[in-house]
Amino acid sequence: MTSPNAEGWTVVVGVKQVPDSDEVRIDPDTGRLDRANAPAVLNGPDRDALEAALSIRDAVGGTVTAITMGPPTATAVLEEAVAMGCDDAALVTDRAFAGSDTWPTSYALAMAAKHLNADVVVCGEETTDSSTGQVPPGIAAHNGWAQLTYVEDVEPLPEENRLAARRDVEGGHERVAADLPVVVAVAYGEFDARPAGLHRKIFAENDFEPDQLTAEDLSIDPGDVGMDASPTQVGGMDTVEPVERKNEILEDVADLLEPIAATAEVDG
Amino acid sequence: MTQQDDEMAAEGTEVDEVERASDVWVFLEEHAGDVMPVAWELLTEGRRLADDLGEDLVALAIGEDLEDVATEALARGADRVLVADDPVFEPYRADPYGTQFREMVERRHPSIVLIGGTHTGRDFAGRVAVPAHAGLTADVTELDVDEDGQLLARRPAFGGNVLATIVCPEHRPQMATVRAGVFEAADPDPDELATLRATDDSIADNDRIEPVEVFIDEVDTISEVLVRDVTERADVTDADRLVAVGGGVEGDLGPAIELAEALDADLAASRKAVDEGWIEGARQVGQTGKTVRPDLYVALGISGAIQHVEGMNDAGTVIAINDDPNAPIFDHADYGIVGDLFEVVPQLTALLEGDEEV
Ligand SMILES: Cc1cc2nc3c(=O)[nH]c(=O)nc-3n(C[C@H](O)[C@H](O)[C@H](O)COP(=O)(O)OP(=O)(O)OC[C@H]3O[C@@H](n4cnc5c(N)ncnc54)[C@H](O)[C@@H]3O)c2cc1C
Ligand SMILES: Cc1cc2nc3c(=O)[nH]c(=O)nc-3n(C[C@H](O)[C@H](O)[C@H](O)COP(=O)(O)OP(=O)(O)OC[C@H]3O[C@@H](n4cnc5c(N)ncnc54)[C@H](O)[C@@H]3O)c2cc1C
Repeated sequence: MTSPNAEGWTVVVGVKQVPDSDEVRIDPDTGRLDRANAPAVLNGPDRDALEAALSIRDAVGGTVTAITMGPPTATAVLEEAVAMGCDDAALVTDRAFAGSDTWPTSYALAMAAKHLNADVVVCGEETTDSSTGQVPPGIAAHNGWAQLTYVEDVEPLPEENRLAARRDVEGGHERVAADLPVVVAVAYGEFDARPAGLHRKIFAENDFEPDQLTAEDLSIDPGDVGMDASPTQVGGMDTVEPVERKNEILEDVADLLEPIAATAEVDG
Repeated sequence: MTQQDDEMAAEGTEVDEVERASDVWVFLEEHAGDVMPVAWELLTEGRRLADDLGEDLVALAIGEDLEDVATEALARGADRVLVADDPVFEPYRADPYGTQFREMVERRHPSIVLIGGTHTGRDFAGRVAVPAHAGLTADVTELDVDEDGQLLARRPAFGGNVLATIVCPEHRPQMATVRAGVFEAADPDPDELATLRATDDSIADNDRIEPVEVFIDEVDTISEVLVRDVTERADVTDADRLVAVGGGVEGDLGPAIELAEALDADLAASRKAVDEGWIEGARQVGQTGKTVRPDLYVALGISGAIQHVEGMNDAGTVIAINDDPNAPIFDHADYGIVGDLFEVVPQLTALLEGDEEV
């Protein structure tokens, strides 16, 4: 066990830039998914992660650093994180990372978390684009750290060098304490994100430059990341045809009785 | 070694890895002896894949006191059951489960590993896939094998707008977490179950049940369950009729409960209603909840977000009651009533109670 940190905890929060899920549309001409034209935004569930990370700093002191792995344009989500109150932010970026599935993505983020000496890594439940939810357990697994997923509240225990959390499990809840360093994936919708402060926002947008971390900075062999190091491949994508429905708007509640009775007959 | 040699050597190991791998594994998620329904769903689906491949279907049980779970898995179609029985596994924790499962995978080289896409399954699957450098496909809703015996795992992405096919050509095992409620579980063979249960020491005697070495010791764990509070789990996946509540009910489930009674239906919910704490999470329908296929689905005060609709697409008849005429739910409903649910629902309940035929 490492000795309790009198300076507070080093909290790292992972944020991802995604196409705005409300704007991802099926192109009516081609019938294909049009995500190129959707504006790029901060993944919604990462707002919960940012709030949880900042609340840990509120409780025990220390710093919060936001990290994102992505192209330089992803800096926008780091600015949002800094505006919300993160002390610093880093862009994990390298051409070697291109085409990564969750295995190398979580490897690069795990190395970045180590590089930043993280005590706690906070992530969102899943993203709104590929929504695997596999990156947080992946970070923990690469580093051999503890993990807590589907977390609804966090309670730092600095004297014990542990973090306790309430987890949502099938049919109920559990309270689990994990040794630091720990990766926490918070449940979507459970942490009410604080609004960005005006001064912080002006700073983030005008004066803030994130640090850049390349594969070399993180001592990552380019062969261990990217497409070639990814065990999974997207073999194809089909747009999902909406299920045909009758779409009848009824004026009179009594008109529902017939279709309801019909479902009982189907069942026998 | 030259770089070329290096590459050839690397390629060589990959081919071996793929060729050496065989058998379909299904994880039997259980908590204190209570098996999650998705495990039985996967056993049925895994049987189909194993038969297609001409390989064995192997069930994996990790926990404490697993005799009944193991025998039931045999009666439900598993060729063999591997049992890791130790107090360190009860209650569930990611680190001991991950270590145990990973050791078993790395020693026995399964070709396919299926895990229920519950919070538990999605929590520890990565702790197996990462050190094993296995491909892990998330939240799968369709499974098949191609002519080369490769797993085709299909999964919704972009909020359900797309169905992506994920393959894993060069690494084994091919792992997937699979959404609950998508596949149907076949019933166990009653005769086989009775025979298996008749002998007291069935585990010791049955050569199809293999106790395996435990690879984790309590002192090496890095997490501790302080409290576990699990009540009875509702299962909405098999319901014939569902009344689902959303943000519009504002915490008042009264009208929905009365309607459900009049319809002989179960209650379901949107994530919003669950997050607000109005109803238990086991009843959530959608991307991060259950897939349901009732004959009748009545959505009360549910907006119709794509993540919700994904879970109710297999419903027979959909009725929506919402006070916003532009709510997307009406696009996904057969019959809609635009109005305040606190007025419409009691009217409907009263009509149903006076109507003998329904
Ligand atoms: C259609 C499609 C399907 C895919 N399916 C799979 C699959 O089944 N298996 C697989 O291994 N890969 C898959 N991929 C690849 C996968 O999307 C990428 O590896 C992706 O970068 C990370 O996965 P995610 O978005 O699902 O993250 P999640 O695991 O859902 O993200 C959870 C949290 O981790 C953090 N996080 C995630 N990504 C980053 C980042 N880049 N920077 C900082 N923090 C981050 C955030 O806090 C986020 O809220 C798929 C890709 C596509 C396009
Ligand atoms: C990664 C991710 C996963 C998700 N997974 C799921 C999932 O599995 N399941 C799920 O449901 N959601 C899921 N969501 C959330 C989803 O995007 C929506 O936020 C959620 O479904 C909204 O719930 P709702 O429609 O009940 O509530 P709201 O959005 O609050 O809508 C309430 C509706 O009720 C109507 N209303 C209000 N008052 C009345 C009244 N008196 N009478 C009649 N109508 C009224 C309103 O017009 C509105 O349409 C997920 C989101 C993300 C990002």
